[in-house]
Amino acid sequence: MVVTGVGVVSPYGIGLDCFQAGMLSGKCCLARTTDDVYPGFEGSIAQIRGLPAKDSNPRYSRTDRLAMMASQDAIANSGSDRSKFREAGIVMASTVGGLTEIDTGIAKDPAAFYQRNGNLIQASSYPVAHVADAVGERFEIRGPRCAISVACASGAMAIALAANMLLDGAAPIVLAGGSDPLCPFTLSGFNSLQALDPNPCSPFDQNRKGLNLGEGSAVLVLETLAGATARHASVLAVLRGWAMTNDAFHPTAPQNDGSGLAECIRLSMQMAEVTGDEIGYVNAHGTGTPLNDSAEANAYEAVFRGRNRPIPVSSTKSYFGHCLGAAGALEAAVTIMAIRCGALLPTLRLTNPIESPGIDWLRGDVKRQPLPLAMSASSGFGGSNTVLIFGSSLS
Amino acid sequence: MTPDSQPVTITGIGSVSPHGPLAGIIPKLRLEPTTITAWTTEGQRRAFLVPPFRPAAVVPGLKTRRLDRLSAWALVASSLAIRDAGIDLTQIDRSRVAVVFATAFGCIELTEAFYLSAAAHGWNGTDPVTFPETLASSPASHVAMFHGLRGPNITVSNKYFGGESAILQAAGVIRHAQADLAIVLAGDTLAQTLYAWYEQADLLSPACYNSNPVEDDGFVPSEGVAALVMESSARIKDRPGGRNYARITSGRWAAASGHPAEIIRQMLHGARPTVAICSGNGAPCALSPTSSLARETTGDDCVVTSPQAFARGLAGSGALFHLISGLGDLADTPRSHEQALFLGTARDNGFAAILLELS
Repeated sequence: MVVTGVGVVSPYGIGLDCFQAGMLSGKCCLARTTDDVYPGFEGSIAQIRGLPAKDSNPRYSRTDRLAMMASQDAIANSGSDRSKFREAGIVMASTVGGLTEIDTGIAKDPAAFYQRNGNLIQASSYPVAHVADAVGERFEIRGPRCAISVACASGAMAIALAANMLLDGAAPIVLAGGSDPLCPFTLSGFNSLQALDPNPCSPFDQNRKGLNLGEGSAVLVLETLAGATARHASVLAVLRGWAMTNDAFHPTAPQNDGSGLAECIRLSMQMAEVTGDEIGYVNAHGTGTPLNDSAEANAYEAVFRGRNRPIPVSSTKSYFGHCLGAAGALEAAVTIMAIRCGALLPTLRLTNPIESPGIDWLRGDVKRQPLPLAMSASSGFGGSNTVLIFGSSLS
Repeated sequence: MTPDSQPVTITGIGSVSPHGPLAGIIPKLRLEPTTITAWTTEGQRRAFLVPPFRPAAVVPGLKTRRLDRLSAWALVASSLAIRDAGIDLTQIDRSRVAVVFATAFGCIELTEAFYLSAAAHGWNGTDPVTFPETLASSPASHVAMFHGLRGPNITVSNKYFGGESAILQAAGVIRHAQADLAIVLAGDTLAQTLYAWYEQADLLSPACYNSNPVEDDGFVPSEGVAALVMESSARIKDRPGGRNYARITSGRWAAASGHPAEIIRQMLHGARPTVAICSGNGAPCALSPTSSLARETTGDDCVVTSPQAFARGLAGSGALFHLISGLGDLADTPRSHEQALFLGTARDNGFAAILLELS
């Protein structure tokens, strides 16, 4: 499986180029805000500013629009015209779906909401499936399509399932990724769980206080090497291995020993036929919450114990926040960028890392070195884990 | 999934439906909608509703007090399917068991409850217990936690083919050796918000407003969760005495298509199904094109089963109920090694086609 296109809409702006330039320059998009997403909210978020005016089609939610823009960018970057995508598959992830469009109606005035106040158009985008449909409609794509929602592992799992779809021969090429916008529903929910750091987060720091939410979308173009070769496409990266597991432990907390994620990493390496020594970088889930980061560090310690040198790990949520259903896809894009640029991105604001002798916590400046093989790890509420291994070449 | 793919076998069935909780196939009993009492309505409003039951009475030890109905039903339906398959989970490697769940609207009751708490107490006063349970993937997570299933845990959503895509995703996970066994679920609950949307869209059958019997004149909303146990066919050879409802040998789906019949014929690879189990997606017009496409691809002699009315009220997630009731319709006649086409259609010639070998 090869990646021939990457598209991104992020707090850095629209397009892969500004995402890449922003991250490599070490720019942080997280900022403290008051009353921005809903009245009374005070904290740090990463917002996308300057989106084009709302689509003329009111059936499309903000989630749909982000996914459509990222897909457009991915298709353009794949060096192919839209006709090549006619029979493509689509796997899009989201946790928010069309909640953005009904937030104000039902929460402000439930009585009016239930009295036929003309909210049907907004409601039609409520099911998560609508995100995949919106992309399909916009680009006239006719192949198999579905949306998935597995909390914060969604974006990565969409890529894994797209790879399965290619293995099955269900489609010749697949658009896979995730999209989630900021909205009162999720911000209020994480606030109620007291999971938010009011200041820009510091993943893997001993004094970390929680996560920050961001918004965005990332979409990959996945196809078989044979398909890419046949159309003379540039291969951006090879998807060498992928795996999915579940902790089966708790609705919100990971297993403290990180065993579910550790098993997922082992399975992905088994599929990629690589050893721990060959992995040059891990783009971690790294939310900045006390429970996630310690469990994740335990997973890396368990899997990479015995390596000839500590495993380089960073969390890029310290740049653009936690984008929920889009997070795994955005971080897959970061991982591919790291391979292509030979750049290991540090975790921002990491001053006092969790003590883990087997882990090289990347901090400070961007580390420049050839990176043939890198891994992106994602986990989520409900215990879902997905790990993707990307390489610069097949071997 | 292509004809040369390793087949996957359906070995267990469970459901929570307007028929109540059941293991195995759903009997051919005619159901009528019942009057909605869960919220205040102006005049009579009816739907196919799951009758109240105590989950622990069906699955001893099951605790559902803090769960919404969708998660509770997923737990009951999965337990019944596992029981029906005769599988003792303590005797197998549960890291090799996947859960694939299809839902159109997810945990809409709790989403609604969360919004109402925001309306009552402001966005800064919402309920932290409710929030994580609003995730569409919560039912699948609870199934994994209750049964200790540590394999891939996937929640899919598809406007027309939720159930079919769950079956095909699960078959893929098994075929690619990412799991040995999968619990496949599909379902939704009916909430006030959803009913209001259906009304505004003018989708509802006259039978929703009066006590007349349901005809093919519209959509009567429904609710429930169906579950299948799917295993690699090679695996069940080592498990004598296990059930074998049908083998899934190939499948194709597309959101739209210029030539659905041609693609389905390619998928059939010369096979001549004698039965078509049609999955109507709620629209009264959906059955006719599905039946026509079934006959076009399999021949006029093909027996087309008619889906149960309640299953048509589960837009996007009713497919497993169609399949279960279709298999039930066929149970009276021995059809060993006959083939069946499980088929759903959507606008723009979208389709999901799965070839089954009956046992």
